[in-house]
Amino acid sequence: MNYGLHYGKYPTVLEGYCDANWISYTKDSKSTSGYVFTIGGGAVSWKSTKQTCIVRSTMESEFIALDKAAEEAEWLRNFLEDIPSWMKPVSVTYVSVKTGRFNETLMNPRCSRHHVHCSAYSPATCAMGALEMTGQALDRKELKWACIHLILCIQESKKSTRRFVGLGSRSATIPRRSYPGITVQKMLMSKQNKAVWKKRILHLKGDRKDFEFVKTSLAAEGFDVVYDINGREADEVKPILDALPKLEQFIYCSSAGVYLKSDLLPHFETDAVDPKSRHKGKLETESSLDSRGVNWTSLRPVYIYGPLNYNPVEEWFFHRLKAGRPIPIPNSGIQITQLGHVKDLARAFVTVLGNPKASKQVYNISGSKYVTFDGLARACAKAAGFPEPEIVHYNPKEFDFGKKKAFPFRDQHFFASIEKAQRELGWTPEFGLVDGLADSYNLDFGRGTFRKAADFSTDDIILGKSFVLQT
Amino acid sequence: MAAASSSSYSVASSLSSLRFTSSRYLPSLTHYYLPSTPFPSLFSSPSPSRRSSYRPLTRRPTFSAKAASVDRKSVLIVNTNSGGHAVIGFYFAQQLLASGHDVTVLTVGDEGSDKMKKPPFTRFSELVSAGGKTLWGDPAKVAEIVSGVKFDVVFENNGKDLDTVKPVADWAKSSGVAQFLYISSAGIYKTSDEVPHVEGDLVKEDASHVGVEKYIAELSFSSFAIFRPQYMIGSGNNKDCEEWFFDRIVRDRPVPLPGSGMQLTNISHVRDLSSMLSLAVENSIAANGKIFNCVSDRAVTFNGLAKLCAKAADRELKLVHYDPKSVGVDARKAFPFRNMHFYAEPRAAKEVLGWTGTTNLPEDLKERFQEYVEIGRDKKDLKFDVDDKILESLKVEVTA
Repeated sequence: MNYGLHYGKYPTVLEGYCDANWISYTKDSKSTSGYVFTIGGGAVSWKSTKQTCIVRSTMESEFIALDKAAEEAEWLRNFLEDIPSWMKPVSVTYVSVKTGRFNETLMNPRCSRHHVHCSAYSPATCAMGALEMTGQALDRKELKWACIHLILCIQESKKSTRRFVGLGSRSATIPRRSYPGITVQKMLMSKQNKAVWKKRILHLKGDRKDFEFVKTSLAAEGFDVVYDINGREADEVKPILDALPKLEQFIYCSSAGVYLKSDLLPHFETDAVDPKSRHKGKLETESSLDSRGVNWTSLRPVYIYGPLNYNPVEEWFFHRLKAGRPIPIPNSGIQITQLGHVKDLARAFVTVLGNPKASKQVYNISGSKYVTFDGLARACAKAAGFPEPEIVHYNPKEFDFGKKKAFPFRDQHFFASIEKAQRELGWTPEFGLVDGLADSYNLDFGRGTFRKAADFSTDDIILGKSFVLQT
Repeated sequence: MAAASSSSYSVASSLSSLRFTSSRYLPSLTHYYLPSTPFPSLFSSPSPSRRSSYRPLTRRPTFSAKAASVDRKSVLIVNTNSGGHAVIGFYFAQQLLASGHDVTVLTVGDEGSDKMKKPPFTRFSELVSAGGKTLWGDPAKVAEIVSGVKFDVVFENNGKDLDTVKPVADWAKSSGVAQFLYISSAGIYKTSDEVPHVEGDLVKEDASHVGVEKYIAELSFSSFAIFRPQYMIGSGNNKDCEEWFFDRIVRDRPVPLPGSGMQLTNISHVRDLSSMLSLAVENSIAANGKIFNCVSDRAVTFNGLAKLCAKAADRELKLVHYDPKSVGVDARKAFPFRNMHFYAEPRAAKEVLGWTGTTNLPEDLKERFQEYVEIGRDKKDLKFDVDDKILESLKVEVTA
């Protein structure tokens, strides 16, 4: 019989799995830790070893195993980083445990006494957001302390309070929550840990437009901070505020779409807003929060992208690139837009948590640079390793696409300055455009996953007529 | 090339010995601030042909930037005699003089040349009235012209290539100038799909300004800084900017824009550039080794600029777009700005110097239009040959 290690091309990330076996040998009562790291589906590093400490619960043994695996993960990550052609590692997605009982959290001191509720109806961004709740990089020592905190709080807590527990490694695939249509992959987590994780996050299912439900269920739990990621109308906020009179902070995901279109760019937070825009509900929400005297913070992203994006932004380009089709771009193609990686947005959300500077402030959150439509098509190709695409310009007024959208972006210049957030919050985006798109491609579309199937019907209308605009 | 780093402004501001009491932004440079002048007799005759009096050496105080007790600096501005950035030296000189510094402006060429009949040179007497000195000559002979006077700061606002700047830079270094400021150009940035141009971005290595920037960096001044400007407006401007739009709008002519008109560019008021330079002089340590995009923090599209000009002139706007290639005109001759996105952001100035922009195009253009009418340019008989060629090929009627 032949055995061998097979290395494939995908997934081109470092994946790690660890597990522990409590008291595997009764004579010395020692537990076993084990881990395996794979790249491209083939194992590169593995270990099975006895633990030096005697532990009294399965939970503890799991965390000791986790610590060992994290050590190896860090070493491998640093090792891979030295290889020139290896892609940039994903930003850290360690999440700390927050407990009601401990005043110090090494990870994010501001969060120590908070229970955090996350509106659960926008799966992709929420999943990322949930996992990045603290978003702070932990080194191995901190991770150990996190584990110890977790162990202690699990042992001592009697109330089933919600905490966020999610553990990932720098180069591992992004763990995804179990929502309909999105399967879960949890890395660096054993079965026991998965069960703990599920227990720690309460998923309230329901319709947020059912204001009574929202009010009663939130009031029953009592939260200190609310992150409203998907609210669109001002009336949706009211039941939340009514349910939580002692709310410490309401953090709202607004939109740069509220800015009034202008010839003078970029948009700054002080710019005029458009009371008639499609996002006027967001504006009304911001004013309603302000008028109620809530400690609110509003973040205005531009276009969000990243793995698991439910809005076909980069996906739209990737479909066409993969199919080898020309990319139809309206008008001149020099319209300038701006993309912001969802992980950077999630980090911004964490940075404002409990931050007094952010009280009653609005921040534009997006990428550091802006890009033309044509440039974005080329950047997607570069990020995904496709050859430079053929771009076809057309005049959208000459076509009738019915209800379909022929292009995923507004046909205008649309970008905002992130200076205020950088200056006041010390936040800055980590992803540039091309490496951010590469991150999205490698972890999502490039593995064969996407949200909307390719629909080239509008393309065919455009290409069929073969009108090419002079630039 | 030193890229802008995120050194904190507070480092510079803690050096109280280099602090000046002057405000960074002068409210309006149309109201010239006159500190007590040593020679009040000059004030009464502002004619440009008046010979500038170069004060004898003995009366001239010399200061070194390192002298902690003295605020006053002695600044030499080497200014070009024509072109878009000629006006920068004028505003900078005014601002420095208002702050109490000693300023000498060395303009290239002869005082009596035709070039001196255009602004800002026609207003150089204002500099003299404010206590500045104006000289003319060949910058290559700067050592002789300034006759051994010691300067703390040299502002090179003339040369585009190393041959022109080298003599000035070498002389500055050898004579112990503490701070060297150079006006380069944002035009040296390599075009990219991603905008804006940010300090540290790649530049075209063969651009002549790049050679100058590198040379200055290698000379190891105590402090040096590079400024990359774009287009500017402001009273005293030597080269047409918004005037191109006013010329057409005021005569009810269509305004022809190449391409879609969506191209973005920075149009800054020169007072913003001047304030940035002043901040660099005040904070020579923080500014050392940095590159600054010398622009306002907003960009405007060609379409937008045309609309704002029309609004400032309170006239209707007729916009026409054309493709230079199919019409057969050189866009560089037909239109005053580069036919592409030419957009930079002043991120280093904000971060390092704590600079803020004050350019307010809607308001500034109103002021510019007032002056445009005051000087009678709206009544001037102008030729629009290239425009007519464009409009002819597009079959657009000119009703004027």
